[in-house]
Amino acid sequence: MTEALHRLVYYSRNRITGTPAALAEAITSILAASQVNNARMDVTGALMFNAGCFAQVLEGPRTAVEEIFERIQQDERHGDVSLLAFDPAPARVFERWSMGFVGASVSDAARYGALAQESGFDPARMTGEALFETLHRLALEEESRSA
Amino acid sequence: MATAVLILDEDRRVEYVNASGEMLFTPIDSIGCTLPALFASCGATGRDDVFASVDAGIDPTTVRVRLTDDRLLDCTLRLLSSGGFVLSMDDVTELVRTAELAQRDALTGLANRASLRDQLVERLQAAGHSKQSVAVLYIDLDRFKAVNDTLGHPIGDILLCKVANRIKSAIREGDIVARLGGDEFAVIQSKATQPQAAKNLAARLVDLIGRAYAVEGQMLHIGVSIGVAFFPNDGHEPDVLFKNADLALYRAKAEGRGCYRFYEPGMDERMQARRALEIDLRRALALKQLEVVYQPQIELATNRIVGFEALIRWRHPERGGVSPADFIPLAEEIGVIVPIGEWVLRTACMQAAAWAEPLSIAVNLSPIQFRGGKLIETVRSALVHSGLPASRLEVEITEGALLDSNDDVLQVLNELRTLGVRISMDDFGTGYSSLSYLQNFPFDKVKIDQSFVRNIDANPERRAIVRAITGLAAALGMKTTAEGVETEAELDCIRSEGCTDVQGYLTGRPQSAESAAALVASLSRTPAASGAAQ
Repeated sequence: MTEALHRLVYYSRNRITGTPAALAEAITSILAASQVNNARMDVTGALMFNAGCFAQVLEGPRTAVEEIFERIQQDERHGDVSLLAFDPAPARVFERWSMGFVGASVSDAARYGALAQESGFDPARMTGEALFETLHRLALEEESRSA
Repeated sequence: MATAVLILDEDRRVEYVNASGEMLFTPIDSIGCTLPALFASCGATGRDDVFASVDAGIDPTTVRVRLTDDRLLDCTLRLLSSGGFVLSMDDVTELVRTAELAQRDALTGLANRASLRDQLVERLQAAGHSKQSVAVLYIDLDRFKAVNDTLGHPIGDILLCKVANRIKSAIREGDIVARLGGDEFAVIQSKATQPQAAKNLAARLVDLIGRAYAVEGQMLHIGVSIGVAFFPNDGHEPDVLFKNADLALYRAKAEGRGCYRFYEPGMDERMQARRALEIDLRRALALKQLEVVYQPQIELATNRIVGFEALIRWRHPERGGVSPADFIPLAEEIGVIVPIGEWVLRTACMQAAAWAEPLSIAVNLSPIQFRGGKLIETVRSALVHSGLPASRLEVEITEGALLDSNDDVLQVLNELRTLGVRISMDDFGTGYSSLSYLQNFPFDKVKIDQSFVRNIDANPERRAIVRAITGLAAALGMKTTAEGVETEAELDCIRSEGCTDVQGYLTGRPQSAESAAALVASLSRTPAASGAAQ
């Protein structure tokens, strides 16, 4: 399928309640499931959990991105999903990530996520473009660290 | 296919088979087989039932048998006096499939309205026996029409399918979802603890369906309104429950959409009253029950009448005078504000054009009139037909118009301005009173709502507010009209607080076109006449 590449950016409020450990487990399971699905559907991207919000970039063939986003919309663990951007993209930026987790580690994000607001980072106040760039920058840092 | 006929002996072995029967069981030669063996060879289910009624000593009934290839046969057994049987079998596969299709909505695959009703009947019977509650949820999309109109039916159809999926994802097993047509859906919820379960589901659906959609490369946003009725509290009959759920839905729509409402007794009467008003209102224009009246506007510096505001009146033969506060919101909701607003505009322009003096005429525009892209054309046409110079026309808009979709409205306002028409901000202070409106569009005039003018002489806070508005408007080069002035004390006050114009019962009541024309004529005869002295 040679469908035009699209990029979608959204953020949502976390609705998972419980201990940091339970939250970390839930995030890990979301991540694992999306990595399997995304690889199968040729979708790449990055997920961040911060300030009580999920922020995610999805890129891939349009229908695949639409299908995955629809699945996310129906997921009760997300609340107040805000679709910030959905546009054709010239090329993939998260080429190597079926779904990378960027920013703090999962357990740190789960433990300190609620405090991150004080650091001035709040996805709810960012545009799609700015959020996309933040995730991209974090992904690059992640790549250089693991390289 | 013609009916297949088998003749069986008293041991239930096949003695004779007609051509259709042979075809049905090909490649098996049915002669000599027992019927159960024959059916078993075709993988039929329900085969024992064919003889069940005979074995029970009652008259045989028609039994439906399903073969492994999903063909359906209606089998009817008759006894022969010889002790044998005649079995006739009709292939009803097509018939049944067509009937099943008739139960489904072709687009979404959900149950359709007829099927929903049938299933509700069954659920109500079961619930009646077990004394359980059943909830009927009527679900209606908000702003779907806009998607369909702007992006086309194919996108609208995909969106409807996504909505159907979201509804299915939110319900529990055993709940029934149907598409009633257009952008209307329904859910029947039984075997649940009510009203809590319906409340949870409705809240979930409002959230879920209201979330953004990514369709064909587009981001789409719609909302949903839901009405709920319960068996047995709100009705025992399916049609009563549907009607009451619909009434509750209507209430949800009326109360701002994007919410759910439960049926309450009394909704029916209010709805009937509203519907009657709606019918009357749709006819009012054609039956010439509407009238435009004119209220003088006085310039405080000169104490002269400088213009009139055109106001609408509705005199209904039985209802009497209906207040604009009662019928304008309804007219906006059902869309008749567009023809009514146009009629007021044309009438006012025509009558003002005939005045003896070139005074200004102010006409109100509803936010609804800004939609549809025809407003400029209408204004231009009203001016051309009446011969009224554009500079004498003033349109009054409320903040509501600016809330809608700011950019489009600003563009229309700028085009009006280009025509030479002046623009006033009406009822200032009652809405959001966003100062950015004043910054984004250079209004010619700000009309201060009467709630700030009433008893202003005895109310320092109101006085301070009016002073602030007049100061702001003056700095921005806008005039200020105080609305609703009824006493001399109020007039003195607003004058000293810097209002440039006044309109109210004290300085001139709304009057018929004839009186207004006569008043204008009297002004031209006595140049020094004071309008405010009226």
